[in-house]
Amino acid sequence: MLNPIVKGSGRVRAQVVKFSTPLSFLGDLDPESGKLGGVDVVDKIVFLPFVKGSTVGPYVLWGAAKRGKAPLAIVVEKPDLMLITACVLANIPLFQGRVEEDCIYLDLGVGTYEKCR
Amino acid sequence: MSREYAKAVIYKIADAVAGGEVVPIETAHISGVSYLTIGEIGIEFLEYLASGGAKVSVFTTANPAAVDIHGFLELDDRTKQGQRRVIKALVELGVNTTFTCAPYEFVLTRARTFHAWAESNAITYINTFRDAWSDKNPGPLALLSAIAGFVPKTQLYTLEGRRPTVLVKADLDSLDTLEAGVVGALIGEMIGTSIPYVKGIRLVHESSRREFAAALSTYSSIVFAVLEKITPNWEEYLRHADITDKIQISELDIKKYLRDVKTPDIIYLGCPFSDIETLMWVINEVKKRGPAKRPIYISTSPGVYSSLGGLVEEARRYNVVIFSGSCLVVSPHTKKYRIIATDSLKAIYYIPRMHGVDVVPCKKTQCIELAYA
Repeated sequence: MLNPIVKGSGRVRAQVVKFSTPLSFLGDLDPESGKLGGVDVVDKIVFLPFVKGSTVGPYVLWGAAKRGKAPLAIVVEKPDLMLITACVLANIPLFQGRVEEDCIYLDLGVGTYEKCR
Repeated sequence: MSREYAKAVIYKIADAVAGGEVVPIETAHISGVSYLTIGEIGIEFLEYLASGGAKVSVFTTANPAAVDIHGFLELDDRTKQGQRRVIKALVELGVNTTFTCAPYEFVLTRARTFHAWAESNAITYINTFRDAWSDKNPGPLALLSAIAGFVPKTQLYTLEGRRPTVLVKADLDSLDTLEAGVVGALIGEMIGTSIPYVKGIRLVHESSRREFAAALSTYSSIVFAVLEKITPNWEEYLRHADITDKIQISELDIKKYLRDVKTPDIIYLGCPFSDIETLMWVINEVKKRGPAKRPIYISTSPGVYSSLGGLVEEARRYNVVIFSGSCLVVSPHTKKYRIIATDSLKAIYYIPRMHGVDVVPCKKTQCIELAYA
């Protein structure tokens, strides 16, 4: 069970892209290609410990979402005001917690999930 | 339409961080207005808001831009054009375009009033030296709060959330600008996220107060410190304090923090923007000595700049370049240099990271010496 911070709606099945180190949206996310730290995250669930870096970050995530190049949802261990602002602006559900699986079904409203079959 | 959008966004953020509660604000100050930092995508967002007819609903100021107001900094055409688009969108949104990182100079925030400010040095300044309340709001959140007229009621907008928890003991009399910055940076690095209650420091000059606030918030996520006998209502904060940790800072700690000084290409003062007292001091010093061998760049607010009048031109003859509305942290002009000497701990932190330029510390008098070395 993940703790929903910015809620979405519906249930999705998606691959999980996991990062072990914090990333910054400014510099690490390319809003044109949807690559985060060089990895394609379009329509995937991103898991990372926390985001760091410039407060311009929310603009970049918003830009990626506007281009249809954003992740489906973000899961972090430590959310902060900048990441929350970014997710609300970009309309991307945000959850607090950890995901070990490579593919999950995730309820974007409540944060319950199970491994893909 | 756009105000409704801003309100919806703020409420949604408030749901996530403040149990849905918001507080009305008196003023806002936004960051992320330099073309260098926000780029095309930031412009796209500002233009998106402006084209929807959004207007700020409280007095809103903006941080320094990539381009200085009188064009002393040399920049490429792309940066100049990009910055013009940013300014146009901000004007349409109703933002005051007196680009400054020291809006507290003319926005006289009163104690116990609420504000949605971005730019950590300015937030720390009004929290610490005025007891005017602002949390550290990301640039887009401050802008949307300015449009909505309210901000999520996070911890720093409550008395409970402003309780000091770490006691900092020092015995440091009358710190100069660089030393005040080092003390701010040391406190920041030692305690990271808590609210400090600081005993035994004196900040006589305005530049020291500015530098303390800037360094504290650059080297940590702290944007509020209670300084005994300095912060308004400090006695009330002391009564509410819940001290769980103690640290000590000595003169030796300050000395250890400072590296050897290399010979720089230029001297840079005014991060945060220089106050009039510092500018007049520099002008008097160079007048005594004659034209400096190395240029002294000083960034200041447009207000202070215009009050200097003919002194700006006179200073140029002594190789002192006073410029306003931009600074060497957010302007690409900075890349022209190899080594910069400064009395600003904030510039020491950001310039190498943003421009790959080496920065060395100097006390104000030493900075002037270096200009003639």
